[in-house]
Amino acid sequence: MNPVIPIDQLVDRVMAELERKLAPSNAATAQTAKTANPMPDIAAALPEVAESITDGERIAHVPDPKWEEGLGELLASTPARIGVWRCGTRPLTKEVLRFRCDHAAAIDSVYGTVDSSLLDEFGLFTVETRFGNTENYLKRPDMGRIVTDEGVERIRSRCAAKPQVQVVVSDGLSANAVEANLRDVYPSLMDSLQAYGLSAGTPFFVRGGRVAVMDPIGDILQPEVLVLLIGERPGLVTSQSMSAYMCYRPRRGTVESDRTVISNIHRGGTPPVEAGAYIGTVLKKMLEQRTSGVNLEL
Amino acid sequence: MKLAAAAFGRTFQFKDLKEVMAKANEEKSGDQLAGIAAEDAKERMAAKLVLADLTLGDIREHPLLPPETDEVSRVIEEAVNEKIFAEVRNWTVAELREYLLAQSTGNEEIRRISRGLNSEMVAAVAKLMTNLDLVQAASKIEVTTHCNITIGQRGILAGRAQPNHPTDSIPGMTASLYEALSYGIGDAVIGINPVIDSADSVKAILATTKEIMDKWRIPTQNCVLAHIKTQMKAIRSGAPADMVFQSLAGSQDGNAAFGIDVRLLDEADELIRREGTGTGPNLWYFETGQGSELSAEAHHGIDQVTLESRCYGLARKYKPFIVNTVVGFIGPEYLYDSKQVIRAGLEDHFMGKLQQLPMGVDVCYTNHMKADQNDMDNLAVLLAAAGVNYIIGVPMADDCMLNYQSTSYHDIATLRETMRLRPAPAFEQWLERMGIMENGRLTKIAGDPTIFM
Amino acid sequence: MVRQTEERVTKGTQPPASAEDRWITSVGIDIGTSTTKMIVSRLKLARTSGALSLPRYGITERLLAYQSPIYETPLRTGDEVDAERIWRILEREYEAAGIRPAELKSGAVIITGETANKKNARQILHLLAERSGDFVVATAGPDLEGLLAGKGAGADDRSRAAREAVANIDVGGGTANAAVFRRGKPAGTVTFHVGGRLIRLDAFGTVEGVSPSLRPWLNACGYRLEPGRKASFDLLQELCLAMSRDMLDCLAGKAAASRESVAALLLGAPLEPMPVLEEWTISGGIGQLMDSPKPSNVEEAAVHGDIGPLLAHSLKEQAGSYPAIRLGRPAQTVRATVIGAGMQTTEISGATVFLDAGLLPIRNLPVMKVDLAPAMLQRSESLEDLLERTMREGASLFGSEASPPFALAISGLQQAGYAEIQRLAEAIAGSYKRSFPGNRVFAAICGEDVAKALGQALERRFGPSPKVICIDQIRVDLGDYVDLGEPISGTMVPVVVKTLAFHRGEEVTDG
Repeated sequence: MNPVIPIDQLVDRVMAELERKLAPSNAATAQTAKTANPMPDIAAALPEVAESITDGERIAHVPDPKWEEGLGELLASTPARIGVWRCGTRPLTKEVLRFRCDHAAAIDSVYGTVDSSLLDEFGLFTVETRFGNTENYLKRPDMGRIVTDEGVERIRSRCAAKPQVQVVVSDGLSANAVEANLRDVYPSLMDSLQAYGLSAGTPFFVRGGRVAVMDPIGDILQPEVLVLLIGERPGLVTSQSMSAYMCYRPRRGTVESDRTVISNIHRGGTPPVEAGAYIGTVLKKMLEQRTSGVNLEL
Repeated sequence: MKLAAAAFGRTFQFKDLKEVMAKANEEKSGDQLAGIAAEDAKERMAAKLVLADLTLGDIREHPLLPPETDEVSRVIEEAVNEKIFAEVRNWTVAELREYLLAQSTGNEEIRRISRGLNSEMVAAVAKLMTNLDLVQAASKIEVTTHCNITIGQRGILAGRAQPNHPTDSIPGMTASLYEALSYGIGDAVIGINPVIDSADSVKAILATTKEIMDKWRIPTQNCVLAHIKTQMKAIRSGAPADMVFQSLAGSQDGNAAFGIDVRLLDEADELIRREGTGTGPNLWYFETGQGSELSAEAHHGIDQVTLESRCYGLARKYKPFIVNTVVGFIGPEYLYDSKQVIRAGLEDHFMGKLQQLPMGVDVCYTNHMKADQNDMDNLAVLLAAAGVNYIIGVPMADDCMLNYQSTSYHDIATLRETMRLRPAPAFEQWLERMGIMENGRLTKIAGDPTIFM
Repeated sequence: MVRQTEERVTKGTQPPASAEDRWITSVGIDIGTSTTKMIVSRLKLARTSGALSLPRYGITERLLAYQSPIYETPLRTGDEVDAERIWRILEREYEAAGIRPAELKSGAVIITGETANKKNARQILHLLAERSGDFVVATAGPDLEGLLAGKGAGADDRSRAAREAVANIDVGGGTANAAVFRRGKPAGTVTFHVGGRLIRLDAFGTVEGVSPSLRPWLNACGYRLEPGRKASFDLLQELCLAMSRDMLDCLAGKAAASRESVAALLLGAPLEPMPVLEEWTISGGIGQLMDSPKPSNVEEAAVHGDIGPLLAHSLKEQAGSYPAIRLGRPAQTVRATVIGAGMQTTEISGATVFLDAGLLPIRNLPVMKVDLAPAMLQRSESLEDLLERTMREGASLFGSEASPPFALAISGLQQAGYAEIQRLAEAIAGSYKRSFPGNRVFAAICGEDVAKALGQALERRFGPSPKVICIDQIRVDLGDYVDLGEPISGTMVPVVVKTLAFHRGEEVTDG
């Protein structure tokens, strides 16, 4: 236990505070001061940007709601598209277009690619799976689990074998997710490895990868644990969501339930920097318990 | 059993019924991924030709998955009425199609004959039908069910309110539910997919939906779509559930991957009858979808249409209140584009209805499929024409928890207006009392969720 | 199940992972002007995030496990409590409840009403710190008392179903603490010099004592009451009704706080603007007396030796006479405060935090607050200036001898990425080492879910000393004191936030 303040001093401080608050005049000032100075408006500090339909604030369109204030409360309680109103039985034009814009962003992230300068920033070299093209990637997930012969060769020649922790990044179903989150997740992950005294092998990027590409990579490099940071299937709320799949000694034949996953990593969901910091904790436990997935106690 | 056909100047020979069934399917990426699809359009037609001439007896005598090793097969086999089967065993699949489409064949005739069919025969006939065939045959079949209210009558289109929330926030779910009710949606069920699969969480959601139903005297039923074991735990601890829910697969090991078997379903059935809050007699909600067996590597080389039909054979045992196929949720490796999704939606609806199930469809897609909201509009209209019992209502069709797109509250309201369909009668009376609907049309206040605050 | 995995094939759910429930035991003790009581509650901790999210736990159920009888508060002289006798009561009650103080993970003692003075608080604090569970501590103040009673009486819940505000007025021996809730959130508190024991009577209506705190109001209204003189039943009744009317008029927004008699009744500031009320409930000892038969003469009125029964019925009559405000039934009356204290004060931190279990628990840690704007996180210099000032201010307010001297509450990190966290850690580490050289522990409480990342970043900069405690998803403010409990499962910390001054709109909501 750390040094404890003598109880007398503590009591004095608590009581000083208490008396200050109990005194009528002070209490009055304290209270009005709080009312008059609400939380600083953080939006005001942000630079002004042109209004965009895709990131504009949600507003209710119900023209004559029974309870105006209640409507705001409903909207604040969910990201669902409610309070949108209608023309006849159809939605209003702006809402339809907003929906289509979000869908467009999602589609583009499936068919996009990760900028090579981002990969260079973290010294990630690239290997490919046998996905061929996006259409084939979507129809044949099995191809996204097989690294090309050239890729296998590159992994063998460039990576340290039998690392304690192997980190792999892949575009998966959203290149956009990698672009949006790698700068936060990756260094935070590396810090967490350091904090737990874990050592990492040579990281690389897999183009056209699926989750189970972890297994053949496990066969090649034989890491103790492997982390795959991979783009998730995009939704309309965000096309930038990433997952971290972790597995103790992944090998061919590893089953889904042997993998531990953290999903929904993006700035509006699981905070990327916190997710990265937590990965080290999970890996440490995998190494201690020599297991992962449903058998891992977190 | 004749497994060869002469066509296009050559003979196509198939090695067994399984291969014929698979290759007779319309193109599906899932069958291609499984490596069982027809090589090309000609082989597909050859398989259809062979299938058309097979008898229903051939199909029953050559089980794709023997009842001795698969309990789903057993459930289906045990349900066949031998007398009725004997009447039709020499019919070819082609004749079955023509019987179903004949003007002289109506709801009563189909209901009778359905008792002599197994799920494979139903799948077989679907493979020979065009999209419009599937619409017309299904539209003849009326399956009404009753939990707290009756749905499924001719001329009725019900909607499931699906007010999901990404963190299971009770106020957030309530907000989306108010919006649904204000558009006249929620007569099929107030059904929520939870993020957190714990009995406490399920109980809290059930209690909240029940409270809202009680407060506003809403004639409908509630359900939380957690795993069946979690629901059972919640019900045993006093949660008010009108129905129980489970996803089904068409093979025993497919169900094992869902963590269920017939014994567990029987146990849940007994529990909901004893401790559920629904009036009944229909107290189940099942969901299915083509491709789930392949994804669990539990398909046994059987095509996804046939396996889907087998899900319905299993579902039938429990006399569900509602069943729906989540047709476009599974992803492009099973249904690649809108054409495949639309086909699958019509097939599933028909196959379920022919097995006397109260079919709804989750008309939906994910963002990595080649489909968009226009395709959902199309499929929804086709299904409304086919007499679908209900479809799914999600705010603006965008499910912010499951991250896929379905049909919206607006869509259901629009289908009702354009196709002259009505909400379930008991629910419509309530909508009128609330002033949300008048003479089957939404009123001025419809679409204002704050009327429930 | 599950949302948003890279490959997902069914909308249905997978078999549930076995999640064991964890329970913690919490105690509430209320030492008031006239009565003392305690309760034991069991708080259920359950995972509130999905299997694929970062772990997050919350209190999902609060069960009342035990409630003590109501004891008369043992007094030594006048308003001075007899701490020894209180301890004996508590010992007996702990035993009756079947708990050992060591099992207590959380809870609060609240010293209320006129007993809430420095001398009493000090005695009880000492007593409990030495002999009771490591985590049971004292706190006080009419704002908090009113809030706790409001929660214990269920006014926060009732307000969720109401459009306008709901008030609970907890009326005890010496004060009436009103807490106003709107849509489930506290909107404010007001305290009045209204209570059953402010005028003490013998069985024949002879005035035995008048509390000095009531004198200004009596004077403003022109009532003359002298100890030793008889007061008529009619006068007492009229007086109680007038007192009730002044208080309720004020709460109903029907009387300005400047009305002389209202001002004399107010303790501290009125609530301005007063929210429109739809319902009120009355808890406390007086709330309970509202259910007893109405006294019809002085003997019946003075059955407890004070004006309590008369006040209760005056309040009941008066509270029912406002057409727009419903008089509701509270969930609890006499135990509302203690139940609020025992059941509603504990929160649970996020489950991805950074800590050294050996450093916990820490009691009565004052809070220093820093609000960050996103723009500020972009500029190292202004960030460093701000932290430098904050640390210096903290040192002057709370001294620098304790380790840690305070908990640094950090808000505004919603959009913080890796670079921002590093910049912040740099600024904190530098300024902390300058203001508190040689200090061995640093503690931070973040509003947003970033504690593990920030903790790791700080540790890299601090090295072996100071050690870092960094927790998150708890909202605190300057002027609060916090108790950080022993970690549960090594991953999260129960926190009791003691708010000495009421602050507005600080409740964290869903979503």
